[in-house]
Amino acid sequence: MIPKISPGFEDVLPVEYRELVQDGSYGRNLRIKDLGTFKESIEEHPLCAGCALSLSIRLIVASLPCPEDTIVVGTTGCNSILMPQLAIHNIHSLFGNQNAVASGLKRALKIRYPDKHKDVVVVAGDGGTADIGLSMTMHSWFRRENITTIMLDNEGYSNTGGQESSMTREGVVLYMAPLGKKYPKTRMFEIARESGCAYVAAVSPASPRRLEKMVRRAILVARAIGPTYVQIYCPCATNYKFSPSETLKRTKDDEQIREYMSSDAKELIERLGE
Amino acid sequence: MKERKVVDPEYLLKEAPREKKFLIGNEAVAEAVKRANVDIGVSYPITPQSEAMHLVGDIYAEGYLKDYYRAEHELGAMAAVAGAAMGGARTFTATSGPGTLRAFEMFPCWAGARLPIVCAFMCRGVNSPLTIQPDNIEIGWLMDTGMLIFHAENPQEFFDMLLQAYVIAEQPDVHIPVGVCADGFFVTHTREIVEVTPEDEMLPPYDPSKSPCPTMDMETPPIRQIRDPFVMKSNYISYNAHASWQQEVRAAAERSRKHIAKYLGSSIEVTNPDAEILLMASGTAAAQARVAVERAQKDGIDAGLVKVKVIRPFPDKEIRELTENPKAILVPEHNIVGWLAREVMSRTDYTKVCGGPRVFGGMTMPPEVILSEIKNLARVI
Amino acid sequence: MHFPIILFLTKNWLESHMASAICSQKDYKVVPGPEAYLSPAAASMGIVLPEKGQGLIEGQIVSEKVAMEAIAKKLLGAKNPTFFPGPNVLWAVSEKAVAKAVALQEMVKAVPGMKIIPMPDYRPKYPMINPEVEINPNHPNLTIWHNEIDVCVFAGVHCHYANLALKIIRGGTDCYTIALCANPGHEDAMISLRDVHVEDIRRLTKVIERLREGSK
Ligand code: SF4
Repeated sequence: MIPKISPGFEDVLPVEYRELVQDGSYGRNLRIKDLGTFKESIEEHPLCAGCALSLSIRLIVASLPCPEDTIVVGTTGCNSILMPQLAIHNIHSLFGNQNAVASGLKRALKIRYPDKHKDVVVVAGDGGTADIGLSMTMHSWFRRENITTIMLDNEGYSNTGGQESSMTREGVVLYMAPLGKKYPKTRMFEIARESGCAYVAAVSPASPRRLEKMVRRAILVARAIGPTYVQIYCPCATNYKFSPSETLKRTKDDEQIREYMSSDAKELIERLGE
Repeated sequence: MKERKVVDPEYLLKEAPREKKFLIGNEAVAEAVKRANVDIGVSYPITPQSEAMHLVGDIYAEGYLKDYYRAEHELGAMAAVAGAAMGGARTFTATSGPGTLRAFEMFPCWAGARLPIVCAFMCRGVNSPLTIQPDNIEIGWLMDTGMLIFHAENPQEFFDMLLQAYVIAEQPDVHIPVGVCADGFFVTHTREIVEVTPEDEMLPPYDPSKSPCPTMDMETPPIRQIRDPFVMKSNYISYNAHASWQQEVRAAAERSRKHIAKYLGSSIEVTNPDAEILLMASGTAAAQARVAVERAQKDGIDAGLVKVKVIRPFPDKEIRELTENPKAILVPEHNIVGWLAREVMSRTDYTKVCGGPRVFGGMTMPPEVILSEIKNLARVI
Repeated sequence: MHFPIILFLTKNWLESHMASAICSQKDYKVVPGPEAYLSPAAASMGIVLPEKGQGLIEGQIVSEKVAMEAIAKKLLGAKNPTFFPGPNVLWAVSEKAVAKAVALQEMVKAVPGMKIIPMPDYRPKYPMINPEVEINPNHPNLTIWHNEIDVCVFAGVHCHYANLALKIIRGGTDCYTIALCANPGHEDAMISLRDVHVEDIRRLTKVIERLREGSK
């Protein structure tokens, strides 16, 4: 839906809503390069200064091919503190159940809008995706659900104060890993590929154009073919105790850019010129 | 999809012609789902529920539902129906005992999100030790989730209550989930005559535009909308908002009373309300209590029965009035905790209430066991 | 007297539980507050919603006509009457929504000095809210206090959020609340109409105009 104000109410709506209508991103096919020239679908939020995760969400939202027909499913974590500020329908259900909720939602929207693409995009942290919600993440892939899963990988549980997750690197000392993490980072990229994702990518907000391309590809492939997965490295300044000014450098230094696509996905992406 | 006729809910529930079939409870469930015009069914196997969801799968294959799949586990199934309901679909799922516990975090979440999901609970005991046998302890836990809870005595009631549940759950002033419970095996696997409505008549489709919360489809305003928000800041305003939200979910259950009266007739069924010894029971315990009461009356004991069909919202007023006069109240149950006795005791002079007899872990409740308690009571009052 | 099975509950617990059950049986009135530290939902205090053709005044069921007259009187007698339009009328999602928005604006024009403060969405906004320009269902009292609103009208708000707002307003303010509901109405409002569509709003406007002329 492209939002429109009922006649006569234009002047009573607060300015941030008027801007969304007059100058928002709905139905305009805007890109990251256009950032700064339009009203973004995200309002001021209370995440930490120098948070790579909040930067990633900003870029993801600006990369959505059809924000007017996208529903975001999130889960508990730092990202869910930001979600209410999103001018896109989004769901916070429980910690870890996001891919199951998204499966039901996507199927409902396919039934209700058979002639429209309603993009269901999961945006969740590493704890939600790879730990507590792993079975639901993987089973949505096994079932070949037409949804995109985006993991914001900050390598730990940040919202609860900095605990180790399975995405934390080996040896790192965090809460609940007082002697350092004893096993390596979970290989979610490979798990996604082997679980049936038609498109799998890893990137970071230090490469915004690449991030945009990958998010768009993931959503377009999910529409037509099947599940897709994008893993975005977003180091956490607060719990990894580095200065917010270092965020971008750290992100760039440790970023791993990878991409896999099935032959169907490759053909589609080429055909769409993406 | 199967060609069928949409009919008025009141006609379907009360007036439509009925055909007699010889069905087990699980088959009656699928027959109800067939007529409920369900969009999506999500299943996960567990005894004694499985067969019901196999049959829902079969009717999906025949074109009675638009989508159906087996989930990864019960939490996944309950989360998926939540997602589907938030997207504006009518859903169905079912589980039993351990599955109920596996999924438990979703039930207050359904209620808090004002989702009109209908879920059947084929009650069984929970570990440990493991049992697959009938025991309805899970109703005691479900009671305080914010859902409406109905308790069916037999396959006929299971069929009727499921259809009634959809109509009540989707009222805009109610719009909360309904758990329709039945005692495992005793109902799910017992074959009885069930009178069903015509196969080619179904409820009108769910209308998400009347939902008390926005449907998540990017077609419903406002577009800046999160379901369900964090309301957890450390200040009075947040506490008050959360508290008010909880109150509103309970208020929705209160509002269902009027619709329950309309579509179920009543939350209770009473025989001989002026008796000296009044039995209060739900589910199959009510069936056994009925036999015991009849025998007691034959033996000259003044006994009566209140069958409680609706556990949430609890029929407070009715139970308070009915418990005023009898000298003693007996509450037979199929669980160890005595959740129904607890409910009754908290609404009357509890010294009159005798919680029991109770059987559990799969044990049957012979009417003789109840009768002997009635006789004990008759001696002392 | 001998009972074969032991009672599980302590007397104290039961007495406190009974006490709260008895409280809810008192005649409850839905009137301006500030009512309580945490006011109850009116439905839990025994207030029931009206049937078709009826309205609610302070918890009592009346005819729709009587409720409309009462709304008109309250609005015309108010110092600072304010209309809170919700998302279902603020946003032009359908012709019906637009027609309703127009009819509601006509109603506002019929009430001298009536202001419009919107409820554009439902996300909790505290402490970022500017109570001058908007109202939020999670903390509507801030807007009522800030603007010294003594009578308000809700329309176009999803029922769940309308009830949250109405209850919180009753809890913490002395504002008189009126709900024009498209569904079955709101017990938490002091006056509520149900099934309110464009025609009903026009009828209400006519009643307001008639009373206004009559009082001249
Ligand atoms: S704790 Fe870390 S991940 Fe969370 S908002 Fe702060 S910087 Fe971002």
